[in-house]
Amino acid sequence: MGTESNSLQLTGGQRSRSARERLYRWLLFLCAAVSVLVTAGIVAALAVDAVQFFLMVPPIEFYTGTSWVTAREEFGALPLIFGTLAVTVIAALVAIPTGVAAAVYLSEYASERVRAVLKPGLEILAGIPTVVYGYLALVYLTPFLRRFGLDLGTFNILSASIMVGILIIPMVSSLSEDAMSAVPESLRQAGYGLGATKFDVSTVIVIPAATSGIFASFILALSRAIGETMVVVMAMGLRPRMPAVQTGLFGIPYVDPAATVSNSGQTMTSAMVQAVTSDVSAASPTYKSMFALGLTLFAITFCMNYLSNRIADRYREEYE
Amino acid sequence: MAGEPADTPVSIESPSETESVSRFRGLVFEAVCALATVFGIAVVAALLVYVANDAFRPFSADPRWHAVFLATLVAPVLALSGYYAVRDRASGAVAFTSLGVPVVGLLGGGGLLIIFRELIGPQEWLATVVALLVAAGAVELHRRRRSQAALERLLVLLAAPVLSLFGVPALSVHWTFATPLTGTELFTVSLATPELLPSVRELLLLVPVLPVGWILLVATVAVPTGLGFGLAVSRRRDDERGLKEFTAGAALVGVVGAVGAMLAGAAPNAGVLLATAVVVPMAFYLEGVARRGEGLQGLPFPVVVVAGLLAGVAVTNALGFAGPDPWLDWSFLTSATSRTPTRAGIYPALVGSVLIVVVIALTAFPVGVGAAIYLEEYAPNSGRMGRLVDLIEINIGNLAGVPSVVYGLLGLALFVQGIGLRAGIVVVGGLTVGLLILPIVIISAQESIRAVPGSMRQASYGMGATRWQTTKKVVLPEAMPGILTGTILALGRAIGETAPLLMIGVASSVRSTPQGFFDKTGAMPRQIFSWSSEIQPEFRYGVLAAGVVTLLVVLLMNGTAIVLRNRYQRSE
Repeated sequence: MGTESNSLQLTGGQRSRSARERLYRWLLFLCAAVSVLVTAGIVAALAVDAVQFFLMVPPIEFYTGTSWVTAREEFGALPLIFGTLAVTVIAALVAIPTGVAAAVYLSEYASERVRAVLKPGLEILAGIPTVVYGYLALVYLTPFLRRFGLDLGTFNILSASIMVGILIIPMVSSLSEDAMSAVPESLRQAGYGLGATKFDVSTVIVIPAATSGIFASFILALSRAIGETMVVVMAMGLRPRMPAVQTGLFGIPYVDPAATVSNSGQTMTSAMVQAVTSDVSAASPTYKSMFALGLTLFAITFCMNYLSNRIADRYREEYE
Repeated sequence: MAGEPADTPVSIESPSETESVSRFRGLVFEAVCALATVFGIAVVAALLVYVANDAFRPFSADPRWHAVFLATLVAPVLALSGYYAVRDRASGAVAFTSLGVPVVGLLGGGGLLIIFRELIGPQEWLATVVALLVAAGAVELHRRRRSQAALERLLVLLAAPVLSLFGVPALSVHWTFATPLTGTELFTVSLATPELLPSVRELLLLVPVLPVGWILLVATVAVPTGLGFGLAVSRRRDDERGLKEFTAGAALVGVVGAVGAMLAGAAPNAGVLLATAVVVPMAFYLEGVARRGEGLQGLPFPVVVVAGLLAGVAVTNALGFAGPDPWLDWSFLTSATSRTPTRAGIYPALVGSVLIVVVIALTAFPVGVGAAIYLEEYAPNSGRMGRLVDLIEINIGNLAGVPSVVYGLLGLALFVQGIGLRAGIVVVGGLTVGLLILPIVIISAQESIRAVPGSMRQASYGMGATRWQTTKKVVLPEAMPGILTGTILALGRAIGETAPLLMIGVASSVRSTPQGFFDKTGAMPRQIFSWSSEIQPEFRYGVLAAGVVTLLVVLLMNGTAIVLRNRYQRSE
């Protein structure tokens, strides 16, 4: 770029210049401080209404109750937590192996030309709005899965979670790939020097060396899955349920996973959407419950992000 | 290949066997990894093909219609693409970019068109531009007269635009203070003043005779656009001619566009805006291609596409072959939503999305870039301030991972319950989603500022420049392409965000388009979501599909941004 043509205007006295410098410094600092204000705003906004909610519904009842029926004022969040967990686990089962394998391929095997096509392809995947993913899950994926003989309802946990999994693949793959590319070339060369094949180098040297970075990417992707909203609202339905416990051989209780995931469920995020879109007054416990759920969600994802940062930081120290 | 299982003990004496075993395992591993990479892309691509099929219904057309377009459009395009791929890759790149630039220009022109049609008339726009020019003049005059007074200058910088745009308006405040937790009312402030000073903008609107709308648009949109691109060209070429050529050319393009539109029976305003948005960037791109003199053979490509399209339309119209009956057509884009699937359209939601994006761009972009500049250029990295800055950095990283629903709740609590704005208006939507993408803007801007080599800063300091001068004249121009790509990506994300809009009560379907920033509004993703709960299959496999395709086309700029960034990285 043509920096030669940049002309500096060095007019103005020294004193006014330093005053101006200070002024700009403070203005720019204010911009940076907005992020702190946003965080404080989130915590304050959520906490005020969450406290009002917990005055009406004790926290113990909220976190241990097994029935979430807002019409009857039963606020036990466990079914929602179960729904969130189910989505997160299935999404992880889809995204983690796929994402790591994709990262290995992109960082170790792919040629420059293949990479130039596949990497932006994965990035575009991350740029598609989640409402589109929700639509795809509802209208195309569920009927498609039914063709394999799965007994799925219109709204079901399975197709919503698979879609969430596909949605977070780019996150796992790009962050893991960064971690793998950061493994020093000398380690790989040492492996090849010992007569190792590319497979050995990838699985025995690169992946272990990048473990903490890969784990950090998992945690980040999972926190995204926990907070994902539109896919679960559109494709999973709005019926909070605990898994049905059945009695099997010798009276051992068990949960049928197939039956659980083929029916609808509800996550914390979709309960929040339901609370805000239903016609309830702003003073009702249903409306306030949204803020309690939001606070819980914020706390979980904030902790997970922090954890991921810490893990990634430790990893960075190793090779510098 | 190896027939034995991988864990059979292999003796050292048979090296060939070891080789083949591990090679097999390695090949399987490589294939699995490659499959995994393609998996997500392939699944989503396949589903999107289904969506496109539902939205356009290509098979509802007469087979002869397909044959005609195959002959006039598809075959020549494929032949040319094949030629480029085999013989001349550089021309291929030029070919696809020179087709992509006008398409993206068309998209941007459409956005401008919506803004001028719904929000602001050419007269008001002229008044605003003149008012801003007056304000800029005042600031400049103050700088010449009293260059020593920095604080005073800031005051002028803030006051001049406000005064010339709004004057000192009539004030009417009616505000009840209440305690935050219990909501007990404490006291009420009531205050009203008459209008003290009219603004430049209002004075100009009082002028009885102003030229026709499209002439104003040529002067206030086409000419400044040409000026902007001309500046970039003359900087690239290091001469003054480009500036004049581009400005005059843009004015001409605007006039031709208006006259052409009038001849075709369309609105002249639309002609000016679309012609400017398509032709001027295209000229800018072509100028670069012509100067480099590389890949000139790619230039016929867009001509072939357009000519093929026109020929196909002419032939099918003349012979009366029935085309497909798509859900996504002109009337879908220009009509409001409806209970009957065939009459449902997306226009009000489209306008809502455009306005929300305008608010986001005006708020999140300056604050985000400012924060990035502070963190990269100014922030101390030791002492108490250094720790504070570390905290801010970690905090920004964390904010980028907070779920969007939570931002929706923040918007609800802050803007609706806090400041008392109405729920579901454009400003609330824009500010809420703006907060959501702020961390993304900051992080991407930081990355591109960090990529500016330190030697350039040192050179600037060596010439006696201050930190702000270095930042403004050296670092920012160098980092701007990267910052803009990051911002476009973030804006793309913002268009598609739905959950925060649900939280702040954006209307599920609006029939009237918003006329200003304080009107109730809809938004495209919100509209798609409400269609998804319709029972009729025509909605699911038609209207909804059309909406999804529209949304994805608007997001085309995401893909464009990625492509641009890759090119930018390669040229480094």
